[in-house]
Amino acid sequence: MKKIWAIAKWEYLEKVKTKTFIVSIIITPLIIIAFSLLPTLLSDEEMPRIKTIGIIDTSGTYFNLLRAELEAYKIENTQPQYVLINLTEKNKTITEIKSGANDAVLKGKLEGYILLLFKNKDSLIAEYRSESIGNFKDIGRFERAVNSVRVQKRLQQEGINPDLASYIQSKVELKHIKVEDGAEGKQDFLITFFSSFIFILLLMMMVVYSGQMLVRSMLEERSNRLIEVLVSSSTPEELLAGKIIGLSSLGFTQIFIWFLIGLALAGSTLIPLGAFKNILPMLIYFVLGFLFYTSLFVGIGSIVTTEQEAQQITTYISLILLLPVVIAMPAIQNPDFILIKIFSYIPLTIPSVMLLRLNISPVSTYELIFTILIMLFSIIIMIKVSAKIFRIGILSYGIKPKFKDILTWINE
Amino acid sequence: MLVVENLTKKFKDTVAVNHLSFAVEPGKIFGILGPNGAGKTTTLRTVLNIIKPTSGSISFDGKPITDEYYNIIGYLPEERGLYQRSKVIDILTYFASLKNLNKFDALSKADEWLEKLNISHYRNKKIIELSKGNQQKIQLIAAIIHNPLLLILDEPFTGFDPINQQEVKELILTFISEGKTIILSTHQMELAEKLCENILLINKGNEVKSGKLAEIKRKFGGNNVKLEFSGDKNSINQMPEVLGFDTYSNYSEIHLKDEVSPAKFLKQIIQKVEVNHFSVIEPTLNKIFIDLINENK
Repeated sequence: MKKIWAIAKWEYLEKVKTKTFIVSIIITPLIIIAFSLLPTLLSDEEMPRIKTIGIIDTSGTYFNLLRAELEAYKIENTQPQYVLINLTEKNKTITEIKSGANDAVLKGKLEGYILLLFKNKDSLIAEYRSESIGNFKDIGRFERAVNSVRVQKRLQQEGINPDLASYIQSKVELKHIKVEDGAEGKQDFLITFFSSFIFILLLMMMVVYSGQMLVRSMLEERSNRLIEVLVSSSTPEELLAGKIIGLSSLGFTQIFIWFLIGLALAGSTLIPLGAFKNILPMLIYFVLGFLFYTSLFVGIGSIVTTEQEAQQITTYISLILLLPVVIAMPAIQNPDFILIKIFSYIPLTIPSVMLLRLNISPVSTYELIFTILIMLFSIIIMIKVSAKIFRIGILSYGIKPKFKDILTWINE
Repeated sequence: MLVVENLTKKFKDTVAVNHLSFAVEPGKIFGILGPNGAGKTTTLRTVLNIIKPTSGSISFDGKPITDEYYNIIGYLPEERGLYQRSKVIDILTYFASLKNLNKFDALSKADEWLEKLNISHYRNKKIIELSKGNQQKIQLIAAIIHNPLLLILDEPFTGFDPINQQEVKELILTFISEGKTIILSTHQMELAEKLCENILLINKGNEVKSGKLAEIKRKFGGNNVKLEFSGDKNSINQMPEVLGFDTYSNYSEIHLKDEVSPAKFLKQIIQKVEVNHFSVIEPTLNKIFIDLINENK
């Protein structure tokens, strides 16, 4: 035990001090934050300012109604966001008006202008012309306003009472709420769904990161023959246990620091803590998944002979963890789908698939216990198999063992 | 005393070590010699309990090997290397802790040895910042920091300059005077000749020769002379008294038939060539090694 502790301490302290670890602790959350913030920052959080919008309206009846619609958008509830100018002039042709408006846009006098061309009673061609295209928020508002005015006018023409008209135009939003035991669920489905994804991504990053570190350090020890000194000082089992414990602590340190960062951000509602309702079973699958993959990597670390090989294998294995992302949509539509059930019983996919399923549909206690037992059982088998590969593999240098050789090692 | 009996190690179809038996006495250096691929490293690894023998037994001071055994062996592997990005003092205390030393003893022992080998100023440096020779010294300290009863040194002198070689040699001799058991594996016959009292010569996993070096030399000895001369080489080589003739840059070694006395031989050659130096020599370990391995083929 004393030696396991010494090995674990060494693995932990030597790696926690490395630049890559410190960088990964800071960089990873930064990337996650940047990814979740960037889209909102870029489109939603545009500095509110007054925009001058021109209207060319060949019918002459839309301008006032449009202005009423669009002036409802206010900046900080005081100033209107859009100031509408009527560009329609009776004695000029459309082409002349357009070229004048284009000039104004290019000179910055106008943000853009809305062109409404009426061919006959029911046909309307609408364009929004501006220097920059792709401001979806503004365009969405303009489109809604034009449509609303169009329907409003028609309903008026047909002599329908304005109250009824506004009733016809209003919409009902369908809210999606999960049914759970006890209190009625109040969570937003998307938030719940993405919280599973956060867990799966965290698990994957941790597995990739620690797996690569483990395989790389074992490769170093094998290539400089330090492994011989190590196994002449402790049993291979002690060495293996020490490495797994040291590395797991490293992984959990990382998660813990990320969790603290997450808590700090929770105030700004970036991470919906309320979503982690199934936190206990989720944590269990998380820890079991991590242990399973780490013991798998020990076996791999005893076989690979080059850095490139190590990189390749770790990448392939961690891709397996991403499987739920692929099967997420069918899983949501039909959680009882047979393939998803099957994936819930394969040790390689149990952790990630269960992390996903826990949040989209209720998982029976029987299934919970059964999958956890499978995980525990496979971890024990994996450690035993890895220990055997480890014992022989670490001392065979240079030549990559064939699959047949590995089988004989396991059976030895 | 380390006793190895009937040690055999098979890998798949190849026999790496075949029924080796030897005993290593405390206070004496035991040399395991042999050409590349002879099975030296496999023998050392089984003695170190790194790999399990296919058959045979190993015991130390009458007790079979247990986990306790790990704490009394020190091992310097042939190919050296340490954690390049770790600090000297951290590595030394880590290896000491693997041998069950407590933190306090580990630190004081590490400082003591760094001082003895004149490298205490590297205490807080990273391995990567040290020269190759100094890295090797660190590895040597790591092998002996726990004061092992059984020390296994695989090619301990390679990579050291003559001054450092001298330091290492003195260190080994101190251990011997303290009654430690030392196994030395090497290709450098001159060093083995100077240091080892007992040797085991192996080839292809089999014992070729074992015993006290002095006795082996005497038995193998035969009749050798060293000669420096100017004149026709062939006139000597073709003499019926000569069994073997090795020419080196400045002198020749001649193996004579057993019944030929060196004095009589000298009288004969004086008539043929101009002799500058003539002496009777014992065969070098190097020569014994080469002859035995060739004979074995």
